[in-house]
Amino acid sequence: MTREYTFPFTAVVGQEKIKRALLLNAVNPRIGGVLISGQKGTAKSTLVRGLAKLLPDMEVVELPLNVTEDRLLGTIDVEKAIASGIKSFEPGLLAEADGNILYVDEVNLLSEHIVNSLLDVAQSGVNIVEREGISHEHRSSFVLVGSMNPEEGMLSPQFLDRFGLFVEVTGEADLDDRKEIIARRLAYERSPDEFIKTYKEQGAEIAAKILGARKFFSQVEITDNIMKMAADLARQAFCQGHRADIVLVETARTMAAFAERTYISLDDLKEAAELALPHRIRQVPPYEIQEQETQETEEKTPPQQMQQPPENEESRERPDLEQTPQDSEQDLPAQQHEGRDHRGQDETAANESLQQPESSEELVEDPGKIFRVITIQTKPFERKMRKGSGKRSRTKTSSRQGRYIRYRLPQGKLKDLAFDATLRAAAMAGRGRNKDGFVRIEKSDYREKVREKRIGNTLLFVVDASGSMGANRRMKATKTAILSLLNDAYQKRDIAGLVVFRKTGAESLLGITRSVELANKKLRELPTGGKTPLPAGLALGYEILKARKVKDPDTVPVLVLVTDGRANVSLNGGDPVEEAKEVGRKIRAEGINTLVIDSEQDFITLGLAKELAEIMEAQYYKLEALQVQEIETAVRSFLQ
Amino acid sequence: MSSKKNIYPFCAIVGQEQMKKALILNVINPALGGALIRGEKGTAKSTAVRALADLLPEMKMVADCPFGCDPDDISSMCASCRQKIKAGEKLPYVFKKMRVIDLPVSATEDRVVGTLDIEHALKKGEKKFEPGILAKANRNILYVDEVNLLDDHVVDVLLDAAAMGINTVEREGVSYSHPARFILVGTMNPEEGDLRPQLLDRFGLAVDVRGEMGTENRVEVIKRRLTYENDPDAFAVSFREEQQELARRILKARDNLHQVKSSDKMLELAAKIAIELEVDGHRADITVIKTAITIAAFNGQEEVKSANLLEAAELALPHRMRRKPFEDETLEFTKIEEIVREEGGMIA
Repeated sequence: MTREYTFPFTAVVGQEKIKRALLLNAVNPRIGGVLISGQKGTAKSTLVRGLAKLLPDMEVVELPLNVTEDRLLGTIDVEKAIASGIKSFEPGLLAEADGNILYVDEVNLLSEHIVNSLLDVAQSGVNIVEREGISHEHRSSFVLVGSMNPEEGMLSPQFLDRFGLFVEVTGEADLDDRKEIIARRLAYERSPDEFIKTYKEQGAEIAAKILGARKFFSQVEITDNIMKMAADLARQAFCQGHRADIVLVETARTMAAFAERTYISLDDLKEAAELALPHRIRQVPPYEIQEQETQETEEKTPPQQMQQPPENEESRERPDLEQTPQDSEQDLPAQQHEGRDHRGQDETAANESLQQPESSEELVEDPGKIFRVITIQTKPFERKMRKGSGKRSRTKTSSRQGRYIRYRLPQGKLKDLAFDATLRAAAMAGRGRNKDGFVRIEKSDYREKVREKRIGNTLLFVVDASGSMGANRRMKATKTAILSLLNDAYQKRDIAGLVVFRKTGAESLLGITRSVELANKKLRELPTGGKTPLPAGLALGYEILKARKVKDPDTVPVLVLVTDGRANVSLNGGDPVEEAKEVGRKIRAEGINTLVIDSEQDFITLGLAKELAEIMEAQYYKLEALQVQEIETAVRSFLQ
Repeated sequence: MSSKKNIYPFCAIVGQEQMKKALILNVINPALGGALIRGEKGTAKSTAVRALADLLPEMKMVADCPFGCDPDDISSMCASCRQKIKAGEKLPYVFKKMRVIDLPVSATEDRVVGTLDIEHALKKGEKKFEPGILAKANRNILYVDEVNLLDDHVVDVLLDAAAMGINTVEREGVSYSHPARFILVGTMNPEEGDLRPQLLDRFGLAVDVRGEMGTENRVEVIKRRLTYENDPDAFAVSFREEQQELARRILKARDNLHQVKSSDKMLELAAKIAIELEVDGHRADITVIKTAITIAAFNGQEEVKSANLLEAAELALPHRMRRKPFEDETLEFTKIEEIVREEGGMIA
């Protein structure tokens, strides 16, 4: 079904960068497509679909999210095979896309497996099909256009790199523009026919310009100088490989062709860099200094001894407070200094003057601004083989839920029949039909579905909320880090829970839930104060994740421990630090992925958290090292 | 399903005015983009949706068309109907009521978008598309209870179709696309998990429902329910007049929808509100103004007034306030009122 009405390309107000990027690709497919990333409701897909109506000789082929492998790549023509026994190839979307634009809306939600197949072909320009008894090869050279909302997660660097250009969009902020946008939309909905007619001429002009630029293209010269500059630009941006250089030159050249200029200007190259580099810029590897520091301290001072001072210090301060019933805690610190109303604004001052004594006061710190966290890979740490295919949030599932992406020969008892593949297999066998006219299917034809479920990991945050965490705004940083991890979890469809340990024990503040939102709320309200019953926290986390694994065998359990490691409350009457290590060993034995975020910030570090991390074979990060530098800022500074 | 007797009359529902309004507006103008109803269980959500569908008169649809195409509107037809029209064929038609199609939480993707017709393939050795829930939903109401519990990938395809009005299927050997214009009504209990902002934004309107608070109203709810269960027919009769009046009003509003004018000033106000509240993208302003137009049409006005805009903002903005996944969602309604008052003069 073709769309009868499409909002005209030229009727879109503003969004010049997307328009520019799309038109450049229409002139020169070698640029390699464009990825449009931005807020919801900013005419991303409207523009791509509008482009289709504009182009005289190119179509926009849409790749829907529900696509299965057979329809993407093409496969045996079943009808023909059954009717006449002839084995022939039935083309898929990749054949249709040849010479056209292949458009994937919500490209970041596309199944991993489909992405891989797509990348293969996008790279080579040839679709080689060797499946279901069919051997076929055809050209498939297309302009790949994707759109996505980054809130829903990012693409892998490899996939990102496949897109020639990258445009980031936001809504128009200008009042008159916004007004015009509303007015046009209303006019379009009132009478699409008339509206489209109004913009027909403008559309025709652009189409003519595209054709003109294509003709002129060969006359634009590429000098050695331009090539050198492009290479320089790409190198300065730490781009991997040579695609960036090539895309830069192709884009700049197309810009010159658009302007009917025979040479590439510096401005062309600059504009091209704005489109071609943002998604390719790489950061200098972060933080290595921190690691070394910690190791040094470790060598100098055995942790066992070093751990004494703070413990004594804290327990010296606490007994008198601990003796008072917990309820009266509220009054006590209030008298000590001007009441709790201050805690929002005044916490730094309070912390500095009364650091230790205050450690058992309850303190609620607001988290700071959420940042993008570095990629946390859980897969390499998995013990049990799971047939996952890469990205942390994707698990192949044995249950019958999830998206059907491809088929395989049945393994064990057939549960989830892939009928289309089974039928194709039967058709290939060429047995024809039985006496009732039914297609004959035999056991050897059976194929089953391989499904992919995007339910991700079970993240259990085990958070140290003891008094020592309250010092020096440590809790603020901790909350910020956890929130950022939660944000990441949200994008990857993880589910999360929250365990907190402080004072005398551990408490599950939030059971495992899909509502990352709720976790966020609980976390914001979380107060700090009291001692550090680390072993109890770990033990509770262990129990919860163990139970979870039984309940949902598909999930990948991850324990995220946030602490400075300074355990001082025992679980069973032993040495708290030793106990924590013991539980740590159990966690490792259970095959639970662990991530330790060390919040220790003092001048003299004890490295206890790090030690624990090693025992659990955890990934270890210093709190500050979690943050990824934002791509945009990097680009901006680079371009200036 | 659509047997009249079993359906509670729409007009007999006590209270829940915002929810009723959101549903009525969507029926008048399906381009609003559906409604998300957030709230506890047992707040007449499902009853209201079914009752509304029942209230409306029958629609003309092509007989035997799996998508129930409108024989008078070629632009929204499925390929097969369109082809027949273009070949000069006359399409036979029937009259049917708007239906409420349920999408259960356990629905699999193939059932939602449609898939290969197995029987046909076995018998004939031919591939045929077997329409799914989205096909049935065309021109009807698609009701998703607990939309927040739906599998993510099902929500993805659902909203994709909702946004496009077309369902494109490329799976299991079949390649097919058909019209899928429906009024999407989702319900959710926010305590059981949230909906991603991206998906929230796709719902035109959102309302929060609570159980009726006042004792008087609560008593009335029970009373009516009991009377209804005692004798549904008699109950229906007692509301017949009111029901017919509402149906008339809805139909009239539909006819007048495109005649309602909205002045430049009103567009400016909508844009101002959106800028002031820093919403993402442009869907918010567009939905506010479209909703205001629909409200005006329902009131029988010829032009949008600032009061309509205010009323519309209350329905179109609450779920769009949160800009990032973790920012608290608060609609500063007084802010909107201020803008309207300052710019639009008196709230008529």
